[in-house]
Amino acid sequence: MTMPNSAECRSVLADGRVLTITATRRPRANRADVKCVVAGAPSICERMQEVVRLARHTEARFDSRDQVVLSMDIAPTAVERDWELAAVLADRIVRGAYQPPQAAEAPPIYAQGWSDAWHLARVCGQPALAMERLRPRLTASDIVILGDDGAEPRDDARDGSGLTVSHLGGLTGHTDPSASVSTARAWFPLHSGGVNDSLNWVDVSVYPIETGGGEEETTIAAPELDPTAQLALRQALAGARHFDGRGLGRWRTVVRFGQPRFQGTSYELALVMADRLARGREFVPRGRVIASGCSSAWHAGRVETVEGHEAKLALILKQAGRGDRVLLPLAWQADLPADFAAALRARGASLACIGQIGII
Amino acid sequence: MGLFTRRRRQATDTSGLGASVIALRVGDVDVAPVGTALVIFNAAGYARRAVAGRVAPGEGETVYCVHPGPYSIDLIPFAAAPELGLRLRFLIDASDPRVTQQRFDLFLFSEAEAQLSVAAFGKAIESALQSELNQGSLDLPPCTALEEWHAFRAGLNQLLYTRFGITVDDCVPVDLGDSRDFAQMLAARVQRIATDLQFKADAPGPEIAPSPVAAPSRVAARAAIRPAVREADAKSLRRLFLELPALTSGLRVLALPAGQATFQSHQQLMQRLGLIALSVGTMPSLDWAAPDQSVSALEQNRRSADSARAVLSLDEAWALLARLQLAVPMQLDELFDDADRIVANLEHHLQRRRAASLVPDVDDSADEAAAPRKEPSL
Repeated sequence: MTMPNSAECRSVLADGRVLTITATRRPRANRADVKCVVAGAPSICERMQEVVRLARHTEARFDSRDQVVLSMDIAPTAVERDWELAAVLADRIVRGAYQPPQAAEAPPIYAQGWSDAWHLARVCGQPALAMERLRPRLTASDIVILGDDGAEPRDDARDGSGLTVSHLGGLTGHTDPSASVSTARAWFPLHSGGVNDSLNWVDVSVYPIETGGGEEETTIAAPELDPTAQLALRQALAGARHFDGRGLGRWRTVVRFGQPRFQGTSYELALVMADRLARGREFVPRGRVIASGCSSAWHAGRVETVEGHEAKLALILKQAGRGDRVLLPLAWQADLPADFAAALRARGASLACIGQIGII
Repeated sequence: MGLFTRRRRQATDTSGLGASVIALRVGDVDVAPVGTALVIFNAAGYARRAVAGRVAPGEGETVYCVHPGPYSIDLIPFAAAPELGLRLRFLIDASDPRVTQQRFDLFLFSEAEAQLSVAAFGKAIESALQSELNQGSLDLPPCTALEEWHAFRAGLNQLLYTRFGITVDDCVPVDLGDSRDFAQMLAARVQRIATDLQFKADAPGPEIAPSPVAAPSRVAARAAIRPAVREADAKSLRRLFLELPALTSGLRVLALPAGQATFQSHQQLMQRLGLIALSVGTMPSLDWAAPDQSVSALEQNRRSADSARAVLSLDEAWALLARLQLAVPMQLDELFDDADRIVANLEHHLQRRRAASLVPDVDDSADEAAAPRKEPSL
């Protein structure tokens, strides 16, 4: 496992200045596990150390060998807390606990969010306000990670590679173990002519309903899509739940997309996987699920091929990170480049070409 | 002869053996049922096995009656996917002639109480499996391909044999949807969150409702020693004391490829584990800092928590041993790095357990240049 020597995370303060939090590692040598340096603001130092230590409680892997030194280039005012998420992310990236997408090119990362319960991995924020502050500074390649306030996302509030999370597991699409709504996320490649190719996410939230019995498709909502696309999505999801056996008539469902304006049906496999993860009926990958595939018979669990496999493979190879699970249709297996699986494995991701969803 | 001794106690109920109970501590008057085996530990902790029959322990001996099974349990590999499980069928093998100490016997001696039930054992297996999957040492991704499943099975078998001394007979993924309903669990979560909020809203602030008796402050409540703390600490140290030598000998006999670098890292690992075992053997007691100088309850709680963390690292080390036993030479670098991490964590936790009090962290930038730092020592 290769770990970066230093990591940077940025955050925009209320007065418009950009704060950079830099994290470095050095051997521990009997020192404290986290050291914070902010010139002239000892209270901010203390808060940052507390935040980082609390957030570390939610990690599976403990390592006592390194000390992480965090520093801020400018001091925020004492009442401001929007930088907390940036500190947590910088600490995780420098220890390899979180790998930002496209880690090889190291694009700037902007993070805005705070929390009253870092030890439960919860994150809060005001994504609309944060986006307004960020917009003048963003370039196309920047990664934006925002704390979620639970409000309906505004359409302009997330362009580019923005990601809103309500808990730290949401960075890899996992469900929140303490929330009453189970939300899982999966990623799918969008091909739009070379340079604009990007990974888009689909996010499925399920909530139990007491009385079933109605038509399954009326309980599924995708508020951002137009009616035709919504109908196709409902049919796909209802079909996959029919295949699952125990999915029908138990859930109220809301589906959201990172970027709702797209064409085609290659999102369906990602949608179905996110739905199965949200309903707690699928093995959980350590990283993200990146899937591409559609089907004309979801009620039989079949996965069929989709278009544009060369561009999508190149994009997936560029974006996949440690622990990610790549799911592709079985028909692509013959056309895969010879070293594709090996290259993915070298990045820590794993690949499966599937003709059927479900266990094995 | 013992022919005329009075029956002082009721015979232990052995009817559950093989169904809901795996092992049971038995005493003088008991008769082990047919099909079970007796594991007898002498006062020094050495185990021997005997065939079932009348139990006649010698001086200072502890006897367990063990049913070899097979047992069937349902595991949940991921806490986030409660409706999907693994059905595991395992048995406790007859003794393995290649080793001097059976791993299951060691498990019984160091971890089991008077009774080892299938449910408690299943919980231990489940937590070991979940932590391995979380850390990425075992892989069970969605839409598992057949070869990935075989790799997972091999890793799981080895883990359970190395950590618990059981042999996995069969393991299949099952749908637990009939017995566990995720929708109901979510609904229960809603209820709990609502009660929490209600509780917060109802709880009177201290200035609104002054109570006649001063409530203990938060610091005082934390400082009050819990009765379980002492037992938990003793149990952790017992596990470390008994299991570290066995773990070290397991690591020592690994068949590693020849080569100077591998040899050196292996040797270093052995040396550090030896020092750790020494540290455990000479661990100061929980409540004394020095003769005639007791430790505050707060620090005792902290010390006990640190020994519990050391035990977690010990579990990780057993899992690492299982991975090393299956490793191909290509993986060795990564595994030795992990071993370095685990051993460093053990050292760290034990050092904190030794310390009578932890001074709060101070900003060390001032003295750093002036004086060289003191390295951690035993």
